[in-house]
Amino acid sequence: MGLLSILKKMKKEEQEARILVLGLDNAGKTTILKKLSEEDITHIMPTQGFNIKSIVQDGFKLNVWDIGGQKAIRPYWSNYFENTDALVYVIDSSDRRRLEESSAELRELLAEDKLAAIPMLVYANKQDLLQASPADEISEVMGLASIDDRVWTIQACSAKSGEGLQEGMEWLIGATRK
Amino acid sequence: MDDGGHVQAMREGFHINWMNMRDASTGQVMWESGEWDCDQEEMEAQIPCEILRCRQVSRELNFSSVEVITSLRLVQSVIFKGELLEEWNFHFGFVIPNSTNTWQQTIEAAEEEEMLPAELLSGNVVIETTFFDGEYPIMTQRVRIWYL
Ligand SMILES: Nc1nc2c(ncn2[C@@H]2O[C@H](COP(=O)(O)OP(=O)(O)OP(=O)(O)O)[C@@H](O)[C@H]2O)c(=O)[nH]1
Ligand SMILES: [Mg+2]
Repeated sequence: MGLLSILKKMKKEEQEARILVLGLDNAGKTTILKKLSEEDITHIMPTQGFNIKSIVQDGFKLNVWDIGGQKAIRPYWSNYFENTDALVYVIDSSDRRRLEESSAELRELLAEDKLAAIPMLVYANKQDLLQASPADEISEVMGLASIDDRVWTIQACSAKSGEGLQEGMEWLIGATRK
Repeated sequence: MDDGGHVQAMREGFHINWMNMRDASTGQVMWESGEWDCDQEEMEAQIPCEILRCRQVSRELNFSSVEVITSLRLVQSVIFKGELLEEWNFHFGFVIPNSTNTWQQTIEAAEEEEMLPAELLSGNVVIETTFFDGEYPIMTQRVRIWYL
């Protein structure tokens, strides 16, 4: 598992890709990225800025940008849109109360010119929790089916167990190279 | 950013908090700095020499900025006895005021036969990291590496 192994599958002629990871605070963005690198996930603090993972392999460079999702930080998200090749949007599937808020943020992102037409992966995270809504229910509530200006998918996952993470990333990399 | 006062404030408000190195194929931390006094001109890191056998190594750096920065970039050089071995450039762009950020880069190690032995490297390798806002240097930090 891991970003490194996915990178091996990418075409050589694409020299660099930028993936932007957004979502509400507490959604699990940072945990997902650390889990994908097999790192310890027990001491993760809310992100007060950005975390970048920059991976160089066989001359190819993948830059993953994880930006904090707290309300006070969201107005700064737009500073990181430029040159983005793919969007990952993370949802806390157990937080029904804030699903509408998450939905509203996503709608704003999808309307951004700088993010137009790029592939999007939605992670329905925290599926290990009993109260988590299944991915199809989240998709329904958020009206994802009406998105027709880009390729997208929703992937159920748990950053805690790692389930679904690799599948999601592989889909995204596949969609990005097309 | 040509206002000298702002550059001064930016420098004063910029801090490297910690660094670490991992075996990137396992995610295991091989070395971490702890909280650092980054006002020192040169710091020393004592790193287990097993890291030289890792196929992929990640270096992570955590920094804070009080001021907004519009065009942050860094140049990181790995220097062996005054000779440049590697140079990495990274463009961050915008930095949120009062933010704490991390940059982790994962690189493939040199082939084992191309690798210099630990005894030769130890104490002779310096990782020099300079942050800029556009053309203005903000800070330079040097870490001398000892392999144990
Ligand atoms: N049970 C469970 N908890 C999770 C999962 N993913 C993340 N968490 C927890 O959710 C909390 C928030 O995770 P973070 O990764 O910090 O969330 P974030 O989206 O990066 O949050 P911000 O940095 O504030 O935007 C942490 O306590 C994690 O341990 C998951 O899949 N299952
Ligand atoms: Mg985070």
